[in-house]
Amino acid sequence: MAVATAQVHAGGIAEHVHPEPQGFIRKYIFSIDHKIIGIQYIITAYLFMVLGGLLAELIRVQLMNPAGTFVKPDTFNELYTVHGSTMVWLVIIPMLTGGFGNFVFPLQIGARDVAFPWLNMLSFWLFPPAGLMLYASFLMGAPVAGWTEYPPMSLQGAAGTSMWCAAIFLIGVSSTLTGINFLVTLLKMRAPGMTYTRMPLFCWGQFATAPLLMIATTALGAALAALFMERQFGVPFYDPTKGGSPVLWQHMFWFYSHPAVYIMILPAFGMISEIFPTFARKPIFGYKMIAFSSVAIALLGFMVWAHHMFTSGLAPWLQLPFMILTMFIAIPTGIKIFSWVATLWGGKIQFTTPMMFAIGFIATFTCGGLTGVYLAAVPFDLHAHGTYFIVGHLHYVLVGGSLMGIFAGTYFWFPKMTGRLMNEFWGKVHFWLFFIGFNGTFLPMHWLGLLGMPRRVAVYDPQFQFWNVFESVASFLMTAGILIFFINALWSIRNGKRSGANPWRARTLEWQIPSPPPYYNFKQIPAVLGAPYDFAEPLPYGGLEGELDQSVPAPVPAGAH
Amino acid sequence: MSAAAHVEPVDQLYAETRELRLNGFLLFMVSDLVLFSSFIFAYLYLRNSGQGWPPPGMSRLDVTFAALNSVVLFGSGATMHFALENWKHGHFMKYTGWLIATILLGIWFLCGQGWEYWHIHAGWANSGIFGASFFTLTGMHGFHVFCGVCYLTILLLQSVHGRYTQQKFFGLTAGTLYWHFVDVIWVVLFSIFYLL
Repeated sequence: MAVATAQVHAGGIAEHVHPEPQGFIRKYIFSIDHKIIGIQYIITAYLFMVLGGLLAELIRVQLMNPAGTFVKPDTFNELYTVHGSTMVWLVIIPMLTGGFGNFVFPLQIGARDVAFPWLNMLSFWLFPPAGLMLYASFLMGAPVAGWTEYPPMSLQGAAGTSMWCAAIFLIGVSSTLTGINFLVTLLKMRAPGMTYTRMPLFCWGQFATAPLLMIATTALGAALAALFMERQFGVPFYDPTKGGSPVLWQHMFWFYSHPAVYIMILPAFGMISEIFPTFARKPIFGYKMIAFSSVAIALLGFMVWAHHMFTSGLAPWLQLPFMILTMFIAIPTGIKIFSWVATLWGGKIQFTTPMMFAIGFIATFTCGGLTGVYLAAVPFDLHAHGTYFIVGHLHYVLVGGSLMGIFAGTYFWFPKMTGRLMNEFWGKVHFWLFFIGFNGTFLPMHWLGLLGMPRRVAVYDPQFQFWNVFESVASFLMTAGILIFFINALWSIRNGKRSGANPWRARTLEWQIPSPPPYYNFKQIPAVLGAPYDFAEPLPYGGLEGELDQSVPAPVPAGAH
Repeated sequence: MSAAAHVEPVDQLYAETRELRLNGFLLFMVSDLVLFSSFIFAYLYLRNSGQGWPPPGMSRLDVTFAALNSVVLFGSGATMHFALENWKHGHFMKYTGWLIATILLGIWFLCGQGWEYWHIHAGWANSGIFGASFFTLTGMHGFHVFCGVCYLTILLLQSVHGRYTQQKFFGLTAGTLYWHFVDVIWVVLFSIFYLL
């Protein structure tokens, strides 16, 4: 026994195997296994997506009628505020970082778990209570100032606004801990030979995101704490009648929330970068440029926050640098887009569902990115600020970008999580309903905004009715697509076609072990000999031979330390 | 297999675990630093857009008492340093003495801050944004000192009960790092509130 223990310990922490927990609660509820925690995150985030989507549909029903008789204007304010907060903090961020991040990247770097498994469990268990707190705010008057909660309106909001502060603060703590955890894991727990430039691009996406989670979220925590103290105890920070400054909130909020935009897109970029080479059967074009441009986006992301505040009385000498720096972001993003297109070029493309979502991602995200460059220009922003143009832009980035990425990733990694494939036919039905519905919903918002339709108002000028009804009908298509997706996923967990270890013939490490992966991930920590995307070469891993062979013994658990 | 072959790999496990924890702890301090920086930004922003400093009708903060109190805190940084060095060299009694001194100096600083709040800055509670910034930031720092005092007390109890050895003492390293971190934050706060 001592011999076996010593051998297992030979590689230090990377080789260390805890005994597998027994019993339902330690295995599936309070689990410290990164794979289970990842799936917990994904399921919880999808549940909140149902709630957030329901709110979105209520908004669309209201906007079918210019006089807006479906709900009262105050209720309408609550709907869009909680919808936005849900989708940003309870769906996209947890899904991409805690969810897919947790499940996928430790497998991809050849680790047995993240650096701090207990901290990981804590991060997850802060998340559902925070979501419930946000929805509990409906009981005491939900926040009404939009997901950005600008004072002074957020200072005047009902008691639920304080609840909102507390809920988002908790989510922020969870994100910060996740960021610390992931960064240490990526820095210190890569398998032997897994150099930075051999890491799969999804890992690079998480690597660029983790510092943003860690640094930016704390700034939001400060802003929220100040707002909470001002609302509950009258400590003045933002109220101009007491010498405070509402613009201070905007600075602190956007210092977080602009990097948060990249928290919501960089992991999706990573997913797309895994899916393209796999289904084009071709090495990714410009690996290093894609990897480094993620880091460049993350760095630039800290220097552009005030472009959200061009209409808030920002000094003119500050507007110009923020405008130019914002436009710079189009450069690394463009590098990525062109690299993906070049990856497809001349490839042997397989139109699987994840691939279709990935290709759709390029189309819609590029539109959202281009309107982003428009909005970076101060004169244009002064015209479009606070109109539906902004709503169109941000949904093209967050739905057409992040959410399409999430769907692509779900179809792609579902077999790794469950051992079964999702139904391809219904996957494609989902794609087309969603893609058409999405564009039908958000494309007309651009011209509605340019014509002057203001966002966040429960009623509107009757001349805009046609396009609003059009958008609402299209949004029902989108919802139908998502419902099909949920049914498909639930059905496939039990009845899907068995996938085997590697249904997509992908080359990153997580596909070389059984689906779903065993508790210890790897029987033996593999040695990495090269980059993962060269499809003509044999697999660049040593020590994987026994992974799928049942007769090779699993590693011996060494107990807690 | 001899005992030696068994022990050595476990030490590697310890070394790597320690490195993970050290990195995680450093990153935690980075994000804590951002928390302070955000409030410091808020204070400087409000100060530069407000009615000037000190606020109308108020006198400047009293530097003398705070400076004395700062010396207490910085002194505790030095005693903590001595405590860790003595632990590394195996001088257990000296270690215990210096650590207890650190804890007492920390408590002294907190009492000093409480006294200062009560006697010198009582009027600041109604001074609007300046009181808000001052009490939020120094209060947050005081809370960090309080947590540090609790943490060091736990470390003291743990080391008395033999939780750490001369080779494995990451808890003490982390405690020392945290205590120095709190010191450095105080340098910044003292400068921007009392000197600037």
